[in-house]
Amino acid sequence: MYLLEALNPVGQQRGLMNSLPISPRPATLDGKTVGLLWSGTHGGDLALNRAGEMISERFANVTTRFYTGGNYPAPPPIVRQAAAECDVVIGATAD
Amino acid sequence: MIEIEKTGKPAIPIVSGRFEEDAIASSRAFAMPDLQFVIVPRIYRNLAPELCVSQTEAAIDGIIEALTVNLASGRGERDSAAAIERFEGEDRWDAILKMNEQWLARDWGDSLVLHPPTPEAVSALVKGTGLDRDDLVCDMPPGFGLATVEKIAVNAAMAGAKPEHMPVIIAAVKALSEVGSHGGKSLLMSTSPHAPMLVVNGPIAREIGINPRSALGPGRDNQVNITIGRAFSLCLRNIGYWYPGQMDMDTIGTTRKFVHCVAENEEMSPWQPFHVDQGFGADESAVSVFITDGELDVQDQGNTDAEGLLKTIAYGCEFGTYGMGAAHGAERLIFMPPDVARPVGGEGFSKREAKQFIHYNAKRSLGKMIQYMPIDDARVGRQWQWLKGLTEQERLEVEVPLLESADRWYIVVVGADRAKTLVMPTGEGAATVGVDQYRA
Repeated sequence: MYLLEALNPVGQQRGLMNSLPISPRPATLDGKTVGLLWSGTHGGDLALNRAGEMISERFANVTTRFYTGGNYPAPPPIVRQAAAECDVVIGATAD
Repeated sequence: MIEIEKTGKPAIPIVSGRFEEDAIASSRAFAMPDLQFVIVPRIYRNLAPELCVSQTEAAIDGIIEALTVNLASGRGERDSAAAIERFEGEDRWDAILKMNEQWLARDWGDSLVLHPPTPEAVSALVKGTGLDRDDLVCDMPPGFGLATVEKIAVNAAMAGAKPEHMPVIIAAVKALSEVGSHGGKSLLMSTSPHAPMLVVNGPIAREIGINPRSALGPGRDNQVNITIGRAFSLCLRNIGYWYPGQMDMDTIGTTRKFVHCVAENEEMSPWQPFHVDQGFGADESAVSVFITDGELDVQDQGNTDAEGLLKTIAYGCEFGTYGMGAAHGAERLIFMPPDVARPVGGEGFSKREAKQFIHYNAKRSLGKMIQYMPIDDARVGRQWQWLKGLTEQERLEVEVPLLESADRWYIVVVGADRAKTLVMPTGEGAATVGVDQYRA
């Protein structure tokens, strides 16, 4: 019999050493401003606008705001603006 | 989305199809493992409008839940793999095969047989550098794993590297982290087949035997080139988390992801070496990392004068795709063989002048360049919006330079005799890091 020892090649990820929690969720979207952040790729705008419409139909007094920087990923000023002006934000990615 | 969550506002992406694993890997890499997202079956980009709408409608309950219910994913738990793993076999080879079976199943390899990174093999490689084994070289993109000397050595051992290769491998890992924005993270995670290419300059290339001639193929002459490239690619996989289907999202893939390493053929170049262009001394050694996106053999069938040779390259470079966004970052890396470089240099062209000549002659119909992209696309930059006022025929008749400026062209002299140039689209610029700081 032969016993082989081998060192693990996988590095520790920085992101898991300094990870942050997600934000607390509101109980309802009634009265909320919903941001729709488009990366500029085809079809994502249709998806986001439809999601905004459906949320507006299901909840009372919802405001939707559409954002795009015309490029992906969205430029930091656009992201900051969406974060400042909205209560929640939906994006379309991985496209 | 993570940047918005950091401000205290719930933010969720709608994630398409096979990108679920990518979303999970990215949420871990970018320090918010509990990030919520909603999956839709198909990628929006090439989907008919009615399908874009209908698959979103089907996902609306999930979207609302992700915005209004506090959920924990458990994705933030650290992996608990052992620092040392043990494999029992009938003999040493049987144990090595067992290690390979398990590790390749975890996708820790490139599917070729891995050398065992035994404690002795790793210690020997660590001695190939003057750094300590716990020293941190960088956070390696795209997943930002901690590239310590020991982890680099473990992956180098798996590639069969030798201690004298370590300074080059370490410098290459460091260089990747300095490419463009965030180490070329976006390119590495793209659905296009972007892959790093390593170019070594200076005395170390000769000392350790990196081939500067027919440098990219398989075989005995390229053993060192291949070993260093493989060590780097295993680092990229296991330290940079560049695992296919997670943070490497290629649509088809490319053999260039078996990363290649070449030396510049400095002896046969009429010009100063590439690393000197990048600010290093000729007696120093350095590694440059380019992010390539394809390659094309540009053949010259008989020109002997500089202008003819350079025009052949200029015309041959007019392939590939182009970005028309605000940050038009397309570049070309030219591996120019001595049979082109020497006549060009011999007629008095400096490298800079050769690049300018190529740039001036490499023009293309703007209409053809953008045919792959609908003109109403939101990513068409402001400087190109005037195109909307032209007919298709008018756009076809407008000629523009292939690249933004002569600075977007890189020339590295590589190759054996014969005027066959290899041209690669690249992006985000090259990063060059000195090797000598990592010598033993």
